[in-house]
Amino acid sequence: MKNSFKNLLVNKGYKYLVLKLVIFFMIVFIADFFIGKLFSYFYFKQTSGWEYRTKYSVEDTKADILIFGASRAQQHYNPIFFEDKLNQSCYNVGRDGESIFYQYAILKAILKRYSPKMIILDIENKEFLSSQGSYDRLSVLLPFYSHHPEMRPIIQLKSSYEKYKLLSKVYPYNSMVFKIAIGNTQLSKKKEEDIKGYLPLTRELDEPIRTHNLSEKYDIDSIKVNCYKAFIADCIEANVKLYLVCSPYFINTVGSDSSMTIGKEIAKANNIHFFDFSKDELFLKNSNLFDDTVHVNVSGSKIFSNQLIDSLIANNKNQAVN
Amino acid sequence: MYSNPAYILIAAFIILITWYAGIQIEKTTSDKKARQFYLLAIVANITVLVFFKYTNFFTNTAFDLINFTRQKLFHSNITLSNSLIINVLAPLGISYITFQAIGYLVEIKKGNHPAEKNPGYFATFLLFFPKIVAGPVERAHHFLPQLKQNKPFDYDNISGGLKKILWGLFKKLVIADRLSIYVSAVLDNAGHHTGLSIFIAVVFYVFQMYADFSGYTDMALGFAKILGFDLMKNFNRPLLATSVTEFWRKWHISLSSWFADYFYNPIAISKRDWGKWSVVYASFTTFIVLGFWHGANWTFIIFGALQGLILTIEFFTRKTRKSIRKKIPGFLNIMLGNAFTFLYFAFSLIFFRAASVSDSFVIIKRMFLKGPLFIENATMIVFSFLAIFFLAAVEIKTEYYDTLFTFSNNKNWIVRNCYYCFLLMLILIAGVFDGGQFIYFQF
Repeated sequence: MKNSFKNLLVNKGYKYLVLKLVIFFMIVFIADFFIGKLFSYFYFKQTSGWEYRTKYSVEDTKADILIFGASRAQQHYNPIFFEDKLNQSCYNVGRDGESIFYQYAILKAILKRYSPKMIILDIENKEFLSSQGSYDRLSVLLPFYSHHPEMRPIIQLKSSYEKYKLLSKVYPYNSMVFKIAIGNTQLSKKKEEDIKGYLPLTRELDEPIRTHNLSEKYDIDSIKVNCYKAFIADCIEANVKLYLVCSPYFINTVGSDSSMTIGKEIAKANNIHFFDFSKDELFLKNSNLFDDTVHVNVSGSKIFSNQLIDSLIANNKNQAVN
Repeated sequence: MYSNPAYILIAAFIILITWYAGIQIEKTTSDKKARQFYLLAIVANITVLVFFKYTNFFTNTAFDLINFTRQKLFHSNITLSNSLIINVLAPLGISYITFQAIGYLVEIKKGNHPAEKNPGYFATFLLFFPKIVAGPVERAHHFLPQLKQNKPFDYDNISGGLKKILWGLFKKLVIADRLSIYVSAVLDNAGHHTGLSIFIAVVFYVFQMYADFSGYTDMALGFAKILGFDLMKNFNRPLLATSVTEFWRKWHISLSSWFADYFYNPIAISKRDWGKWSVVYASFTTFIVLGFWHGANWTFIIFGALQGLILTIEFFTRKTRKSIRKKIPGFLNIMLGNAFTFLYFAFSLIFFRAASVSDSFVIIKRMFLKGPLFIENATMIVFSFLAIFFLAAVEIKTEYYDTLFTFSNNKNWIVRNCYYCFLLMLILIAGVFDGGQFIYFQF
């Protein structure tokens, strides 16, 4: 026995290779497990920053009103005004660059914990545009894969190999090491003003308004449309008051955007109110309310949030009368 | 291998014509006949390459010229659009296949290598899968004999190959793809960026290019090694070169040596009665063609011309530079040479990367404008600098302190295993696996 092992080492045959590979992968497995655990510990311990906000949205918020959407949600809806005027707690769960996939995954996790009283989903032009980026950006949800089974079907949309990649404990935290480190310090808090998920923009746009033709055709992603339908259906099922909103742009538009048309049709079919501020004159005439052509600044956000709240109140009154 | 299965026929055509011509060149006793077969096969290879890769460039240029002439001479406002444009994709690896085929024919014609009788071996030489996408440009005398050797199980080959693949993956995923995020965000929107941002993106692009290309090559060499094949070394730490002349001896070695053997040397020899100017002529012609080989665009031609220009300058100033070098301390010599070579190559890559010549000039012009540094995602920048630092540390250590200490080839297997485990963990922690890492960029 001793001799054959010695021969194995000396001859360096395929058995030796297998032995070395087994040892190597054992080291990798152990390293992956412990480093992954370490990342997980610090990820869920964050107190500020992007990842913290996602974690807070998924696991902690119990706000009565939730605002969903991408960057335009995050930077257009100030929860403070909603809380003051509607007398209910509010949190903005919007996240820059994310699509309806992210929104739906977050909704699933929240509805598992509790049912908010009201949800506002911000919809933008080209919302249902077919784009690989929307799938890739689901990577921010990977840390929740192991203990949030309700989010798994959406996370697995990222790629057909995702469940195999997720055998690694480190992979879910890919590219997050510095964000996690910063999220565990007070650096983010000092750097950015985070008002219950709302991130105000301070620049004032100084350029003439441009005109865009929205009637150009593009590929619609049916999976995104289905997610949008499922988002509405789940809200209805959970008895959550849902409002769909298209917030202001500083762009003159010609024609109608395909995604917006689809979004409005589905909303109508489900009896959900759709507020469209994309052609609001006040915003189209005042570039100083914008940070760039698609994002309002802090002044614009104040005006828009209050306009929307007034519309919501008026809508509720109308519904009560009817 | 190809984007369309029908493209297999193109590869088959190149293989058959080159293989048959090779045998005939060797077999025939008539020089004239040998020359005919030789030219036929060379022309066939070049025709395939030109047709798929350059037809649209040539017809576009011709139409641009016609339109320009009509406007200037006849004051015509009518612009003719290119009606000869062809909508076909170039078969994957076509440039590498044809160059290897041409090199093979030249060597047979010179009598340096016997023609391969077995079409299977010959097809494998041209289509060996690890090298088909990004080289190296193999030579028949180096590769064909390996095909005929027995390939018994070899632990060292498999272990060495796997290590090379891992290092290649690291360079591709952790360095190249990471840097490409900032590079794309800035250089694809250069009109909105200024000085420092553009400068950093241009510098990043050099490392991105190197890590990407040499990473692919490492993987190719690694896969080949597992199968028992040694492919040509393609990179020899080019970013540590102290002159552009030295750089091209270290960068894409298989291609630059191919051009040296089959293009530069024949030209320089044929014009040897021009004296020093034969070198200038050969350098310029070679690098313009080498630039053009990379893609059918004027930007690549300018990239090549810039290399030709600096090689000419370095050729004429070599004595002066040598005498200056003697007066400067050695380390300063290396650093200055290194910095100049790096910055010159970085500058020339602006043309290499830009979609058009006018885009290149926008980038150059805006590099001199003052403005804020674009940092939309600070962690991305930190990752990028760390990636460059890691690459530079490994390269400098290998170049200057290779005998000092080694993790990758340490005698202690635990150290070796831990090092490769560390690389794997870094890939999982910092590798870019898809478009999930992005810089939100909107104006």
